[in-house]
Amino acid sequence: MLYSRKEFGRSRLVALLGMLAVSMPLATATIAAAQDKPVAGEVKEGSLKGKTLTFVSFGGIYQDGQIAALQEFIDRSGVRLLSDGPTEMAKLQAQVESGNVTWDVVDTADFAPYVHCGKLFQKLDLSKLDTSHIPPGQVGECNVPAMNYGMIIMYNTEKYKDNPPKDWKDFFDTEKFPGVRAIDGSGDPIAGLIEQAFIAAGGDASKMTAADIDKGIAKIRELGPDTIFWKTGAESQQLAEAGEADLIMMWTGRAMTAARNGAKYTPVWKDWLVVMDHLAIPVGARDPDASYALINAYLGRKSQEILTEKTSYSPIHNEAQPKVDETTAAYLTSTPERIRQGYQHNIPFWVQHYAPTVEKWTELMAGN
Amino acid sequence: MRHFPGNWIQAREIPLHIRDTHPCEVFGVSISQTGLASTAEAASEPAKPPPRRRLHLAGNALWLTVPALLLLLGVVGYPLLTIVLRSFSEPMWGLQNYVWFFGTPVNLVVLQRTFEVSAWVTLACVICAYPYAYMMTAVGPLLRMLLVLCVLVPFWVSGVVRTMAWVILLQDSGVINSALRWAGFGTVRLIRTQQGVVIGMTQVLLPFMILPLYSVMRGIDLRLVQAARSLGARPSRAFLQVYLPLSLPGVYAGAIIVFILALGFYITPALLGGPRSTMLSTLVQNQVLSLLNWGRGGAMGVVLLVATFILLALAAPLMRQRHRQGARR
Repeated sequence: MLYSRKEFGRSRLVALLGMLAVSMPLATATIAAAQDKPVAGEVKEGSLKGKTLTFVSFGGIYQDGQIAALQEFIDRSGVRLLSDGPTEMAKLQAQVESGNVTWDVVDTADFAPYVHCGKLFQKLDLSKLDTSHIPPGQVGECNVPAMNYGMIIMYNTEKYKDNPPKDWKDFFDTEKFPGVRAIDGSGDPIAGLIEQAFIAAGGDASKMTAADIDKGIAKIRELGPDTIFWKTGAESQQLAEAGEADLIMMWTGRAMTAARNGAKYTPVWKDWLVVMDHLAIPVGARDPDASYALINAYLGRKSQEILTEKTSYSPIHNEAQPKVDETTAAYLTSTPERIRQGYQHNIPFWVQHYAPTVEKWTELMAGN
Repeated sequence: MRHFPGNWIQAREIPLHIRDTHPCEVFGVSISQTGLASTAEAASEPAKPPPRRRLHLAGNALWLTVPALLLLLGVVGYPLLTIVLRSFSEPMWGLQNYVWFFGTPVNLVVLQRTFEVSAWVTLACVICAYPYAYMMTAVGPLLRMLLVLCVLVPFWVSGVVRTMAWVILLQDSGVINSALRWAGFGTVRLIRTQQGVVIGMTQVLLPFMILPLYSVMRGIDLRLVQAARSLGARPSRAFLQVYLPLSLPGVYAGAIIVFILALGFYITPALLGGPRSTMLSTLVQNQVLSLLNWGRGGAMGVVLLVATFILLALAAPLMRQRHRQGARR
């Protein structure tokens, strides 16, 4: 078996290492020790021969990039990898309830693996994965990140000229910065935005209570009836390229593409909202060890570099050095500077208040 | 005369026999009137309903519907039953999902809006489709082919693509507003408004109105209009009293198809509308996909379905009566 680690007692391991150190060069000893623990990106030759895994994601360039990142894993392990999608919790729920789970590894949006942890997704045995290179705070009980991206404000460069907005407070200040706002209305509530709205309303996000969710949402509502809630990433990009809104909340990938296509907008990086996709294993997956092997390979440095080069999403391996052009590099969120500027919403709080938040967010989206 | 269900030769005759009967009458509009049969022929005969024979034939023809019925039971009936059951059983047995639906203001506002938008779209479709379908019957074969193509080609293009095209046209910096500004008029707010949604949905749904209308109008004997004219009716009167009543079955058939399809629209309101044009399908999607709340999502679907049935039941007698008037002439 691939990751059934030989259960050495610590003392025996130390003794063995000692012996090896005496008899062999030190480098060999390190390799021997490393074989006990999984190393991100590594997989044993031929270890999954004859097996089939189904990898589920959101399609398009993103899933193509993920498959490209997994190509070495496929070649080495001998696994047959199938793609499916798009990820939908309702579909997964139907599979889990009927006891016929055909998905082995699922790429999900930000909230799902936290909200459905233990119900639709297995709690992960982290000893089967090498999570040592993942940025801090991104590993959940049921999930590891699949990639990182950000939500930033893009402002109309010509409109604000010398006095541009600098942060979310300015985004919510319609007097100092008049103009049409565009907000991500593509689905789940944007927890980071509600927190920033609450801060702009004078609150302290670290002490947020259930009642404060209303205050945050009220602040967003105050932006007025002209506010655009875009439904797809493509729409947000289109808004920027056509100059339809003055302050657009955008995913970094879309912001980058809009800028590349000539949109005269400038990013605001202060407190950019950290967003990510996750990888998780469904409850009742047929061969969890094979799923772990896939995820562990995916977390490898080389895989992450390929992923970024193909998709322009940021890698989740802290040593990854993807070769990308200047514009792409400018919108990556994995540089030390960007990591310092990022804003991470309070995941446990929002998971706890998920259902009422979705209701309130839906009301906001439905114009009530 | 006895027909055996297995006798194909006799069975093949059945559509001819039943075409001026109404076994497939849907909400007062007979399918045979809208498309299958030549209405002109039916119009030249006095309406002579042979009730007993009609029943007999309808029973015998039933097996022809078996493939369609099986398909409907499997892919519509069974899932629908599951949805209805789940709306009463999740998370526990009872009416809680319906209590929630009617107790939440946003649901009622959006339900009402869904019907309003669908009604506007239906009206806009009738207004646009009627003269167009008439043109199709009045021109020569080559031009008719061109007109049919104009209807069908957009029909083959993905709805998302068509909707995105409308975004380009309607947006504030779009083609229409640029032209208006160039001509010295101000900007008109089109996108992210209810009007924008109605425009986009009308274009997407127009073929569903034009085609039934055309198939009915094609069967109208234009000599009847000429006769009216020769008897001294002015063109407007000949149209209103002869042509229009004859074409009404097509209007009803098209209107019902368009209205029902419009009720379930999702992509177009999402892309062309703002928050104030969200339709019910978006809320259903939220309940099911984001919250995995099948009970509430199901209850919303059931409410929409029942409301649709009630509305059609209210409209049906009116339509049937009008239709008879038209048939009586």
